[in-house]
Amino acid sequence: MVADSKSAFIDQTVVPGDVVLDLSSMSNHTIKLGQGLRQDGDVISVMKAGKLRFSKPNKYWVESSNKRYVPCVEDTVLGIVVDQKADNFLVDIKGPTLAFLPVLAFEGGSRRNKPKFEVKLNRVFAFLKMGVSSSFTNKQGLECHRTENMVKSAGISSEKVLLLLFSECRFFPFSELNIIYFPSQVGKLLYVRVVKANADMNPELSCTDVNGKAAEFGPLKDGYMFESSTGLSRMLLSSPTCPVLEALGKKLSFEIAIGLNGRVWVNAEAPSTVILVSNAIMTSESLTGVQQRIMVEKLMQRVQ
Amino acid sequence: MEVDRVDGRTPNQLRPLTCSRNVLNRAHGSARWSQGDTILLAAVYGPKAGTRKNGNPEKASIEVIWKPKTGQIGKEEKEYEMILERTLQSICLLTVNPNTTTSIILQVVNDDGAVSFLENYVMFKMAYLTKKVQLLPSAINAASAALVDAGIPLKHLAVAISCGLEESGSVLLDPTKLEEQKMKAFAYLVFPNSVASILPEASLQVEGELLEHGMITSVTHGVMSVDSYLHCLERGRSASAKMSDFLRRSLQSRVPNDLPKTG
Repeated sequence: MVADSKSAFIDQTVVPGDVVLDLSSMSNHTIKLGQGLRQDGDVISVMKAGKLRFSKPNKYWVESSNKRYVPCVEDTVLGIVVDQKADNFLVDIKGPTLAFLPVLAFEGGSRRNKPKFEVKLNRVFAFLKMGVSSSFTNKQGLECHRTENMVKSAGISSEKVLLLLFSECRFFPFSELNIIYFPSQVGKLLYVRVVKANADMNPELSCTDVNGKAAEFGPLKDGYMFESSTGLSRMLLSSPTCPVLEALGKKLSFEIAIGLNGRVWVNAEAPSTVILVSNAIMTSESLTGVQQRIMVEKLMQRVQ
Repeated sequence: MEVDRVDGRTPNQLRPLTCSRNVLNRAHGSARWSQGDTILLAAVYGPKAGTRKNGNPEKASIEVIWKPKTGQIGKEEKEYEMILERTLQSICLLTVNPNTTTSIILQVVNDDGAVSFLENYVMFKMAYLTKKVQLLPSAINAASAALVDAGIPLKHLAVAISCGLEESGSVLLDPTKLEEQKMKAFAYLVFPNSVASILPEASLQVEGELLEHGMITSVTHGVMSVDSYLHCLERGRSASAKMSDFLRRSLQSRVPNDLPKTG
């Protein structure tokens, strides 16, 4: 019975075209197919090269390492904002198409309360908020709108906008000036979750967990991001903790964000730590657990 | 049937094959395929958003760019591009990533360099058959390996082989450029790879024939009788089994061997 319901190819390398499951002999089973497998009539055949994996009770997938990423619901990925539209950020997640990140897909995001990124950044949208009575606020709102349009059309630098805003402030001597930047998000690195992934449309991302909380999602400040393969990301995220991370974590303190799309972000107090950690991770892909530990030890010796 | 081949091979013997994957850093998938002294480098970029001009947005489109060793591409190369495109289209699952384009770039690194300059010159003088054509099977093999490396969804792999027909009517497999000049005709045959299956062999058969005995592409040059074509087919088919074993082995070697299971 076990032999019937489980494929003989589990944990073996399969190549496209291989037939791994016969559905006609397992009529009462429900099986779930992951990436790299497809149903072809009465059989399940392989469409990518890799190792066939099986997870109880009924999941099958082909594990492979690629430079491109195929979006999949509930994956956590690292994306780079490439454009900003009224309702969406367009985010590159190394997939076939750009992904949409709705502007409101942040914790507490609603039409009223558009989320802000409070970051010390440079360009284009400056917003003036005055701690004065509501009648003034309205006027300021208009003012800001005007300034924004001016900036857009004239392409004035952010410093000029600030000067402009300060000059306007002269007319409200008793107001408290409170400037919040709306920096351009283009180029920003985000840790996001894939919420929709269909072949026919752009994938959709979210910066909240399923409960609508920010969790650890959102923009990643500072640090260093490098691109590797999807296989390496999966290795780093595997449980129990991957040997290279375990070995590094014992000696050093650093922050790391790993996207299933093959992007890894590392941050630490000292730049030297960032470099060491990222180099160790990049070289670890082809190494076994023991080799990884040895490699980390050697690196640490060289540093000390 | 003793045929003396210049390099001492038997009529059915292929030139030594090598295949390495992931040789290019920036390409999403790449492979270097060498068959004797013929060396090709294939790079796959994509899938990228959007189809080609006039492409069907409900399917993925495949684009092949041929880069000759030197000079510009001419009519011949355009023809290879077209044959490759059609062949690869038929092995790719085009509906998995609709409205995307995958580009395959083939760079000829060496075109059977065993031929010396003098011989080359003589051959050029003879030039009664299209040259360079035996690149095509290698190109198909290289592209097929590169597509796998890039993780493009495929129905199966393609293995390509060239068969040459001598004046005497005997068939030589995988002729070199030099041998090719002396051939009466030749055929390039592309077969699906032999698949591993849990099913008994009988159930894999389509209308009484094994799937791997089907054919994807056949290109012939020169005059060839039906009998000798069928002879070529038979010989090509048996050699393709060896090649698909080789391809499978070379694909296995690159997969990281101790990736722990994801939790």
